Amino acid sequence: MTGEKILYSYTGIFDTPDEVTHAAEEAVKQGYTKFDVNSPYPLHGMNKAMNLPASKLGYVALIFGLSGALGALLSLWWVSAVDYPLVIGGKPFFSFPAYIPVIFEVTVLSAAIATVLAMLFFFFKLPNNAHPLHATDYMKKVSADKYGIVIQAEDPKFDESSIRKFLESVHAKEINAVYWAEEEITHKHKIFEPKFLTFLLVVVIITSGTTYFTLNKLMFMLPFNWMMEQQKQNPQQKSLVFADGHGMRQPVEGTIARGFLPYEFKGQPDLAGERLVNPIPVSKESLQLGQTKFDIYCSPCHGYHGEGDSRLRGQFPNSPSLHSEKVRTWSDGRIFAVLTEGQNVMPSYTTQLTVDERWAVINYVRALQRALNAKESDLQ
Amino acid sequence: MSTIDYTRELSVLEGKHALRELDDLIAKPLETKPDKKFYIALSITLSMTGLFVLGLALTFYYGIGMWGNNIPVAWAFDIVNFVFWIGIGHAGTLISAILFLFRQKWRTGISRFAEGMTIFAVMTAGLFPLIHLGRPWLSGYLFPYPNQHSVWVNFTSPLLWDVFAVSTYLIVSLIFWYVGLIPDLASLRERTEHKIKKVIYSVFSLGWRFSNRHWHHYEMVYLILAGFATPLVLSVHTIVSFDFAVSVIPGWHTTIFPPYFVAGAVFSGFAMVQNVLIIVRKIFNYEHIITVDTLEKMNKIMLLTGSMIGYAYAMEFFIAWYSGVEAERFAFLNRAMGPYAWAYWIMVTCNVVSPQLFWFKKIRRTIPVMFVIAIFVNIGMWFERFVIIVTSLSRDFLPSSWAYYKPTLVDGMILIGSFGFFFTWILLFTKALPVISMAEVKAVVDGAQPSHKDH
Amino acid sequence: MISSSVEYQKKELPSKVQTIGLGLLLVGLLIVVLGYLVNPERSAYNNIIGLTFLISIAVGSLFFVAIEFLSGAVWSTPFRRVGEFLSSTVWVLPLLFIPLLLNVNTIFHWTHPAPADKTLIDKAPYLNVNFFIIRVIVFWLVWLLFYYLIIKNSRKQDQTKDQYLTKKNIKLSAIFMPLFAITISFTAIDWLMSIEPHWFSTILGVYYFSGTILAALAVGAIFIVLLNERGFFVKGIHTDSYYSLGALIFAFTNFWAYIAFSQFLLIWYANLPEETFWFLARWEGNWKFFSVGLIIVHFLVPYVGLLSQPSKMNPKRLLFMSGWILFAHYYDLYWLVMPNFFKEGIPFSWIELGFPILIAGLIILVFYYQAKKNNLVPIGDPKLKRGIDFRL
Repeated sequence: MTGEKILYSYTGIFDTPDEVTHAAEEAVKQGYTKFDVNSPYPLHGMNKAMNLPASKLGYVALIFGLSGALGALLSLWWVSAVDYPLVIGGKPFFSFPAYIPVIFEVTVLSAAIATVLAMLFFFFKLPNNAHPLHATDYMKKVSADKYGIVIQAEDPKFDESSIRKFLESVHAKEINAVYWAEEEITHKHKIFEPKFLTFLLVVVIITSGTTYFTLNKLMFMLPFNWMMEQQKQNPQQKSLVFADGHGMRQPVEGTIARGFLPYEFKGQPDLAGERLVNPIPVSKESLQLGQTKFDIYCSPCHGYHGEGDSRLRGQFPNSPSLHSEKVRTWSDGRIFAVLTEGQNVMPSYTTQLTVDERWAVINYVRALQRALNAKESDLQ
Repeated sequence: MSTIDYTRELSVLEGKHALRELDDLIAKPLETKPDKKFYIALSITLSMTGLFVLGLALTFYYGIGMWGNNIPVAWAFDIVNFVFWIGIGHAGTLISAILFLFRQKWRTGISRFAEGMTIFAVMTAGLFPLIHLGRPWLSGYLFPYPNQHSVWVNFTSPLLWDVFAVSTYLIVSLIFWYVGLIPDLASLRERTEHKIKKVIYSVFSLGWRFSNRHWHHYEMVYLILAGFATPLVLSVHTIVSFDFAVSVIPGWHTTIFPPYFVAGAVFSGFAMVQNVLIIVRKIFNYEHIITVDTLEKMNKIMLLTGSMIGYAYAMEFFIAWYSGVEAERFAFLNRAMGPYAWAYWIMVTCNVVSPQLFWFKKIRRTIPVMFVIAIFVNIGMWFERFVIIVTSLSRDFLPSSWAYYKPTLVDGMILIGSFGFFFTWILLFTKALPVISMAEVKAVVDGAQPSHKDH
Repeated sequence: MISSSVEYQKKELPSKVQTIGLGLLLVGLLIVVLGYLVNPERSAYNNIIGLTFLISIAVGSLFFVAIEFLSGAVWSTPFRRVGEFLSSTVWVLPLLFIPLLLNVNTIFHWTHPAPADKTLIDKAPYLNVNFFIIRVIVFWLVWLLFYYLIIKNSRKQDQTKDQYLTKKNIKLSAIFMPLFAITISFTAIDWLMSIEPHWFSTILGVYYFSGTILAALAVGAIFIVLLNERGFFVKGIHTDSYYSLGALIFAFTNFWAYIAFSQFLLIWYANLPEETFWFLARWEGNWKFFSVGLIIVHFLVPYVGLLSQPSKMNPKRLLFMSGWILFAHYYDLYWLVMPNFFKEGIPFSWIELGFPILIAGLIILVFYYQAKKNNLVPIGDPKLKRGIDFRL
């Protein structure tokens, strides 16, 4: 090593724990503060001998543990009672007893991680493999079976001439000087070293790349996409079975749907109006059924009162009012024909309304029409 | 009459040991090349692991139908193995954390190894919830991260509590184990001249300097971690017991499950640790560190926890009768006399009867006998989980739904393979890291601590 | 090799201890007798609470004496006698259970089940008067027997300093343990579960055990701290021993909370009416506040009070928390028993004060009497010196 050597400390070795404890007590008596004791394992009573204040790491554990608990509780409350409440097992949205296990685990996890990280990075300022005591004979001994004391040159009471005498007075053996190494003096913040930053960048790229690939590409490849890509006929999908390639088929010739009743007046609405008679008598049930169905199926275009003032007004060709002279004079059968086959923009409602439901709707429409064009006799 | 003397404290280690001698002894496996015995053992465990991989591959490719699970027995070997392996893991944390809190010095020789076993056991256990999913690659959905579905995981389900519990347990055990390793890695760093090893040890020891200013905080953090790990280990197996106890199934829904499961976990864990330690101490010549006294104390703990298990069996049975609920009464009679009676009686013999032999000091201190008893305990505890899960499911409320469960070859491959997986990690561990904590053991040698001048 | 004898000067407890004990005993007795005259059913329920409380202390203390022998612990040896004296209260248990045994038919519903109540009638092989009385007496005799045998050896050792007596006690303690487990569990089932005979919980025995441990530790700690601070023990017992007591109390507070929570969560979660009605009864009217209070009194306060390391070593803190824990244990037993009697709200009047005062008087008097006749320190115990030198 070239250049001037800067003194870091003086070290002394001891053979027994009693000796090193005594040495520590003496060092405190002498007024040294920047000194340390090294031993292969913790020595009972050394903290007292060195006059060390109690460790504050307990507070770190307490604060982070409580924060973890509070954070977990708030998250669980928000998730279960605010963001997407679901009734599970009949229990209330905010079921505190069920949250206790998770809160407990999160508390322990936060406290443990925080305490250890605080200890290593803040209290110890580790990792640090560039300390002057590394790679010395002293370190080899105190890591195995000897005990040592090290007094730093930075200590205000340190005096190179008298330090040797002091160490001899406490029966230290192998009194040596330890110097800073060249790199250790110039060593600065390791965080911003280019090698480390490059390493971080590589890790970020690899992690994000792998995640992207896994979630967006791999999950859609064999065999992970087996549940997604099933060998079954999906709607709109080409069929490999039928000659015309249509997956969606018409019902087989000659079959009829359940509840089907034939309609003989296709394309002849006026004839239907003459021939068809409303089989459903006007009753409370019929009107209520009619109202329900009307509100569901007819009101989007015709409005709730059949006046054509619907929610689709302005976005769709307006439907005519059902209270017009024309519609009022139409027979029930004629209206039935419109519902069955559709008219102009209005589609057929055979798939949404059964035959009986159509007659009930017609009863309701009649009621609406009567409401808007009531005769004086209706008031009695 | 034997010359007993209660006035003197028993030494933790046998004989007088120089500190350097201990270092040499513990570091020896790391500094020597593996011998033929090691390779033979490794080849056996790797073959078993191969069986594991094959079983899992078949399961992933063809689906859970490769297993014997049916309706109503929808949970079988998968969950039995999960609970079994988590239980094994608990001994490690108990030894490191709880015995530390009780200031039992005899834990020092075995804590490092036991903690390692915990981590490997939890890793093995953690695989089972993943592989029993059918589409294990979607297991990421178990974790509550915001996603495009908007729906969150079911936080009120014990299956989800398991996710948190097992993850926390694995992470905290790793942290605890690593913190304990730092001083030893630093000792190894100082011992080695090998360039690559020195770099590895330097990196992982973080530059630990054995400074007492650091030991001061270190001891506090170790105490805090032990203080947290203790309720953690109780909570993990409690949450596992909740998987069953929150249901309404007779034989599953009973309030004593949490402490009963924890006691059972400690029981089976200690049996496994004892078995492995007996082999390890012989192979590596650690008989003076892992002494017969240590083994005897472990056997006493097995006696204690085995008796707790016996108590729980008796109490469950009594209250099932006392409750007057016919389904409950039937469930317990069915266990003892139904189609799975063979499993029940294996369980009772192995769990209740065999540890009672440990009342006798001679048996507690005879190695071949205690080894066999511990094997029985392991078998018995596996069967306990089998009895609980399978008998209660195969015959619950509706007789028309009853069915018998039979495991398949793939089930067996995965069970045997899980042992291979576990033991492979242990073998690699013995060659990569010191299996005894050098710093802790040196601290309890006679004369290691300053003598008390009263302060 | 026998330890060098430790210097022990037997100090007499001041006579005002006897006065206080006697005073409390008489006042308590007066209230109890009046209570029985005025409202026998309510007094009987209080009697159950008092009985289970004293059993906790008597048998729990014996448990600790046995555990010390079984585990080979040394830190508790210097004050093991406190546990021994407290366990002698097992002699006075009949005072508390005889009035109950004479009134079994009025207290317990299972003595006269309604003919349509098949569930209760089914339990008759266990829940019948004769078997109940036999159980109570047999359990008491078991406790008495082991108390007598273990304590006899311990006393003898003061004179002979024979180490073989320790070995005998270890054997006795080992046999006592499973008997303890059974008797304590069934005590809980008999007195605390059968007063609501339709309810059941496999963990109740463990629940009562956790409370028992805490009560025994707490009352022991009170005597230990009070006496040690006044120099009644051997010189040189370090605060490290207080730490161990405080740590045990802290640990078992957590254990109690864990057991209580397990019981609650499982019954709440499964929502089976045959189990939930018991907890629902403890949520009716005022009981709601009492139940929440249980968590605060029995868990939160002791947890916070004994969390930090210095708090566990502080004699004042230890004394206060021990007293608090005794109150918490009584509160817990009250919560277990009273809602069966008074469904609408919390009954509290002078009647409820009778048994606590009586029991306090009994404990103090018994302890005084024992301390007078025996050494407060087991001077012949081979582990004594190590116990005094005990450091963490």
